[in-house]
Amino acid sequence: MATASLQSPHHPHLYHCRHRRHFPSTTTSSSSSSIFPTLSLSSSSSSTSTTATLAAILAPVTSSPTFDALAGLLAAKDFQQADEVTRRLLIALAGEAAEKRGYVYFSEVQFIAHADLQAIDTLWLRHSAGRFGYSVQRRIWKKARRDFTRFFIKVGWMRRLETEVEQYTYRSFPGEFIWELGDGTPEGHLPLTNALRGTQLLGSILTHLAFEVEEEEEEESAEKEEGEKDVSSSMRLFKPDYSF
Amino acid sequence: MASLVSSPFTLPCSKAEQLSSLSHKKLLCSFLPSRRAASRFRCAVATGGNGLFTQTKPEVRRIIPDAEPASGLPRVKVVYVVLEAQYQSSLSAAVRALNADRQHASFEVVGYLVEELRDDSTYQTFCEDVADTNVFIGSLIFVEELAVKVKEAVEKERDRMDAVLVFPSMPEVMRLNKLGSFSMSQLGQSKSSFFQLFKRKKTGAGFAESMLKLVRTLPKVLKYLPSDKAQDARLYILSLQFWLGGSPENLKNFLKMIAGNYVPALRGAKIDYDDPVLFLDNGIWHPMAPAMYDDVKEYLNWYGTRRDANAKLKDPNSPVIGLVLQRSHIVTGDDAHYVAVIMELEARGAKVIPIFAGGLDFSGPAERHLVNPVNGRPFVHAVVSLTGFALVGGPARQDHPRAIEALRKLDVPYIVALPLVFQTTEEWLNSTLGLHPIQVALQVALPELDGGMEPIVFSGRDGKTGKSHALHKRVEQLCTRAIRWAELKRKSKGEKKIAITVFSFPPDKGNVGTAAYLNVFSSIFSVLRELEHSGYNVAGLPETADGLIEDAIHDKEAKFSSPSLNVAYRMSVREYQSLTTYAAALEENWGKPPGNLNSDGENLLVYGKQYGNVFIGVQPTFGYEGDPMRLLFSKSASPHHGFAAYYSFVEKIFGADAVLHFGTHGSLEFMPGKQVGMSDVCYPDSLIGNIPNIYYYAANNPSEATIAKRRSYANTISYLTPPAENAGLYKGLKQLSELISSYQSLKDSGRGPQIVSSIISTAKQCNLDKDVSLPVEGEQLSVKERDLVVGKVYSKIMEIESRLLPCGLHVIGEPPSAMEAVATLVNIAALDRLEDGIYSMPGILAQTVGRQIEDVYWGSDKGILEDVELLRQITEASRGAITAFVEKTTNKKGQVVDVAEKLSSILGFSLAEPWVLYLSKTKFSRADRDKLRALFQFLGECLKLVVADNELASLKQALQGSYVEPGPGGDPIRNPKVLPTGKNIHALDPQAIPTAAAMQSAKVVVDRLLARQKADNDGKYPETVALVLWGTDNIKTYGESLAQVLWMIGVRPVADTFGRVNRVEPVSLEELSRPRIDVVVNCSGVFRDLFINQMNLLDRAVKMVAELEEPAEQNYVRKHAVEQAAELGVRVREAATRVFSNASGSYSSNVNLAVENSSWNDERQLQDMYLSRKSFAFDSDSPGAGMTERRKIFEMALSTADATFQNLDSSEISLTDVSHYFDSDPTNMVQSLRRDGKRPGAYIADTTTANAQVRTLAETVRLDARTKLLNPKWYEGMLASGYEGVREIEKRLTNTVGWSATSGQVDNWVYEESNTTFIKDEEMLKRLMQRNPNSFRKMVQTFLEASGRGYWETSEENLERLRQLYSEVEDRIEGIDR
Repeated sequence: MATASLQSPHHPHLYHCRHRRHFPSTTTSSSSSSIFPTLSLSSSSSSTSTTATLAAILAPVTSSPTFDALAGLLAAKDFQQADEVTRRLLIALAGEAAEKRGYVYFSEVQFIAHADLQAIDTLWLRHSAGRFGYSVQRRIWKKARRDFTRFFIKVGWMRRLETEVEQYTYRSFPGEFIWELGDGTPEGHLPLTNALRGTQLLGSILTHLAFEVEEEEEEESAEKEEGEKDVSSSMRLFKPDYSF
Repeated sequence: MASLVSSPFTLPCSKAEQLSSLSHKKLLCSFLPSRRAASRFRCAVATGGNGLFTQTKPEVRRIIPDAEPASGLPRVKVVYVVLEAQYQSSLSAAVRALNADRQHASFEVVGYLVEELRDDSTYQTFCEDVADTNVFIGSLIFVEELAVKVKEAVEKERDRMDAVLVFPSMPEVMRLNKLGSFSMSQLGQSKSSFFQLFKRKKTGAGFAESMLKLVRTLPKVLKYLPSDKAQDARLYILSLQFWLGGSPENLKNFLKMIAGNYVPALRGAKIDYDDPVLFLDNGIWHPMAPAMYDDVKEYLNWYGTRRDANAKLKDPNSPVIGLVLQRSHIVTGDDAHYVAVIMELEARGAKVIPIFAGGLDFSGPAERHLVNPVNGRPFVHAVVSLTGFALVGGPARQDHPRAIEALRKLDVPYIVALPLVFQTTEEWLNSTLGLHPIQVALQVALPELDGGMEPIVFSGRDGKTGKSHALHKRVEQLCTRAIRWAELKRKSKGEKKIAITVFSFPPDKGNVGTAAYLNVFSSIFSVLRELEHSGYNVAGLPETADGLIEDAIHDKEAKFSSPSLNVAYRMSVREYQSLTTYAAALEENWGKPPGNLNSDGENLLVYGKQYGNVFIGVQPTFGYEGDPMRLLFSKSASPHHGFAAYYSFVEKIFGADAVLHFGTHGSLEFMPGKQVGMSDVCYPDSLIGNIPNIYYYAANNPSEATIAKRRSYANTISYLTPPAENAGLYKGLKQLSELISSYQSLKDSGRGPQIVSSIISTAKQCNLDKDVSLPVEGEQLSVKERDLVVGKVYSKIMEIESRLLPCGLHVIGEPPSAMEAVATLVNIAALDRLEDGIYSMPGILAQTVGRQIEDVYWGSDKGILEDVELLRQITEASRGAITAFVEKTTNKKGQVVDVAEKLSSILGFSLAEPWVLYLSKTKFSRADRDKLRALFQFLGECLKLVVADNELASLKQALQGSYVEPGPGGDPIRNPKVLPTGKNIHALDPQAIPTAAAMQSAKVVVDRLLARQKADNDGKYPETVALVLWGTDNIKTYGESLAQVLWMIGVRPVADTFGRVNRVEPVSLEELSRPRIDVVVNCSGVFRDLFINQMNLLDRAVKMVAELEEPAEQNYVRKHAVEQAAELGVRVREAATRVFSNASGSYSSNVNLAVENSSWNDERQLQDMYLSRKSFAFDSDSPGAGMTERRKIFEMALSTADATFQNLDSSEISLTDVSHYFDSDPTNMVQSLRRDGKRPGAYIADTTTANAQVRTLAETVRLDARTKLLNPKWYEGMLASGYEGVREIEKRLTNTVGWSATSGQVDNWVYEESNTTFIKDEEMLKRLMQRNPNSFRKMVQTFLEASGRGYWETSEENLERLRQLYSEVEDRIEGIDR
């Protein structure tokens, strides 16, 4: 298995020093996540698992993603690589099962520590004049009444087709995305979380508690269009609730 | 937004691919001859590219190793052809890995999707690739036209190639297999035990399944066999294992093995390869699980320990959804779309059990993994198949009974969702057809035969990687709907909310609660009573059905005041907009909400009435009925705000757990959108939202039921049409029959001439002179002539008398009594069913007097008196014998007690057989007892089914989230399998028609039609026949009318090994012994939706015939096409366009709406409407372009028509029963288009009885008027149904006016007699006015209209009375008291 090189995301050396105090094992929310890696480790050691084997084969084998690497790429305005690293970082943060699988299952997002997600977001925000990052996407998504199609159109992940009726299709990766911070680049365009496996993963990231705190006010003021109340309440009905 | 659209990043995928292929050496072949360029231009709007369904190119699957001459590695080329793209990424990864290793060999690989081979240039490239490849691999090649292409290309190179590997495919492709000494060229012929394994089971998925079984068992045996031959066979089996193993690692070893063993340059290289890594054949797979599970208990144990699961998922009460997956997607890692569905369901709080199977039979795994072995109860509340395939048989040969058996055990709702297979995401989005027709045939029509519901496209395909990906909104739609169905299984009856939806069409108060053959309110009442009994909350339900009507449509107070339906809910515009996400899209057609339909100017109004947890609502109408200009110009429209508000109310405010659409048929499923495979912007999908849809549908209308299933996700439940009775005789017709009978007994007594002259004068009074040429009164007739006149009149009378008509309206839950079923049984008994060893009753009886029944029919048609009389006796004896039988099997109340028991006791004492007893008193006493016994055994079964009462039970099952068994729709007389009703109606395998039997009957009808036209037209064959293809007709008859078209132009269908028809060949002119007749085929919108493949087939047939080098006078298709090509300046092939229909997503010519609403000025306007809506052609040269407007050629083709023609398909539906027959009739239009202005002959074929007839349109209209509108038996039956009966009478009259408008073939006396019957009779007039004043007003108006438009000449007195009545009833309706 090509997993040896991937470090535990909770290992301090992945972090900027300012995050060190949020080290998961010392926070209350981490009780679960501190158990989880051990669990997945033990299950992976007996890796006769067919799915895991497969996923490992299919997953791209590249060097391990780190926060520092992300910071460096963003500083160098290499958004495409930074985007790639973000995705891999997220996988690494989600645990070994996710790494073997090659993608994050939506319910694993809850185990990612607040600090880690915030760290990624902060880096993107900092290097994009506040135009990229999960928290930006979260705001846009809420404005779009949590409708992913509207959100995708807003952030430029879908493009309009030239058909009689107005309809949109997914942009193809990576050629049709915008890898620079230009005037025409829509807010929230990056980082990209693909919808190949639907929207639950992105939904879980955008509803992660890490982004809940600072935004309470914003939620209140979010575009009070007619019917906002009903829609959001009906959405809330279906809103995944994976916060233990 | 605009900046995004025009940004440089929006280069469409397909273009990018084309660019990348530019760099390739094969570029030259993509330059096409000019004819292709022309079609390319024409269809550019719809699909771009080559006009085919897919624009993807094999170049994205081509890998060429880096040129490194130094390495000196031998190069191995591999070409593969597959049905689906899931192998693409895995195989590409394997090849890249091999090339990176740089050991032994470098690999060049290129892959083709079967569908791409339709494109000529791609096929050319394919042939070139095959010409220099070392290895060829093929898999799942099941589309015959393309299988032939593959075979042709590979066969040529087979001997040269180092290895040919073909995995499950059509036998002719399988025979190409070659691995050293191993070959399958004997497949299907050899007696060797190896091949016997393939043959063991002929039906079902047998072939592919036994092949897979072989894979599992044979290697063990073969390992120990030393000979080379066994070695090759072993490697073949290993190959199959590698292939089915599918992972990059397996495919890598597969290529190593094949190359090392069979590529000569590598013979000495000793390439090591690992054995295949075997995955479970079938089992349970979950993306989070550490392994695949073979045992559901283990899986559930693991599931219970999941740490990531939230409380909802752990709740033992949360719904559980079973998923059915294809193993190949899992092993090849092309599983993103599966993961998406699993995540979506779990995020919404539903547990999942995703099972997979590698073979084509999922029934075993479904039973093993989804049913609790301990108590036999299912673990799941609903099952969703994500494979798109039928449960048993996949793309090969299906076994529906086995699938149904398995699903019955599961007894949960069964949804079959679809991944895009032949199209990329963008191609599907761009297509107005929606799903690729081949996929519709394989993955929509076939699963329907299993009882599969909701063909929702949930995943797309990336053109470049070939990988599947979720369509996020579609996945949401699928998952919410699946959960809602599962909730029906979980929730208690007391808490379930049901929205019963009735229709109101046309939008007139007299029409609320319209449905074909159904007494809607009585049925609803009976349903609600039943639901109340079984525990549903129906608080406040009135005591009677009338009470229900009064509540819902305020009949009592509003009978004579303006229509005011009960308003159940007022929805503010703000609320409407917030609940209806697509509201803004409707503004283009309807302006800002609320608009003026279903609105009070401020709010949107929902009409209906709630009782406890049941809401009875009135579906709004299309909305554009009253607006002829809109009818004329709108190719398609959107639903209006009121329509959308209704469904928003039902889903989000009332909170329905299920909606029950009540009766045939509503407007929802005919709203604009793709034909099949809805997208986010298709209205039927948006409107139905996530409410489970249950739909009571007439059993005899499978085609429209199918539209409802596909477009609005209905779980249909069939209901019986009312029991048919013989029309019987009345008034003058009855006198005639008495006169004829006295003529027969007295004709030799010298009173003959006198009686004959009474017969002639009475016949004239009855207006029979148009049907039978009667001699002038007083003319001297010879005995022979007298007999002939009497014979002809008699024959006509018998025809009227024995015509079947459904009497009254059906009430759900009230099956016919046994005695009411007699007429139906008599007709069932009139058909030979030789495949079941059953002879027809008339045939058996005719034999006893030494005649062939066909001869008797022939003689009777000719008016030979003895034959007419014999036929009458036969008919009478049939009725008598069957009545005697039914009497014996029923109790005093007239219900069948127990047919089986009764029958066996009857059969035990053959002397006492009631039919024998009866016949012994007739001249047929010596009838063949054995044949009779077989027949009556069959009739007994049929009787049991006719009177079975499953309609309520099935509804309750559906509401409880149980599986509703599927069954064919159609005519119970032709196909008693339609019975018992209460089934989820399905159509048929569209590729199965026309059948050989249908072709046989078609020849008879076409020959009769041509003979008739010749007789009426100076012995000349018609050069062109304009005809109509109906969906239901072709389902009921297994493609008879389709076959008629083929026979007219002189071609015959050729079936492939699976019995599917995808090819035609010309019949030689010698065999045809007449010219090929040109055709103009007008397909109904429904036919287009259901049988687009057959439209394709027809178009190919027409083009083929037009290109035959034959003399013009022997080939009218060619004659006209050549002329038209010259005139239009196009190629002959293009001029040979004869297959027309509506634009995609649009139905009917709307002439019927205009007529029903009297909203038209003159016939010219109707014709314009027809031409503008019906002139869309299907072109087999660019099938992906969908329907393209070709009005010019449509008009030109119609202008050559000498005859127009339609088929009647069943006894219940005749010309004036429904509006769609005249809606599609082009007779007057042809006349106006013809240069000589001549009126074409107009014919109707009636194949509803054993003795098929071709009549003129005028004759049929007369027959229809006599048996229905003017027949006391019929209208009294209707009036017994009250409110709705009056509307039925009015409808017949309106449809008659429709025939006047489109064909001018209605005689004056029809209107005159109708007026006499319904207006002049004061008693009748009062009854009509009392029961349904709105419909009565419409009737009066229609009479006046018929006169005003010049279709009816009558006395001023009559007209004055009508005008007076009109203002009277108008005043009363408006509430003005005089």
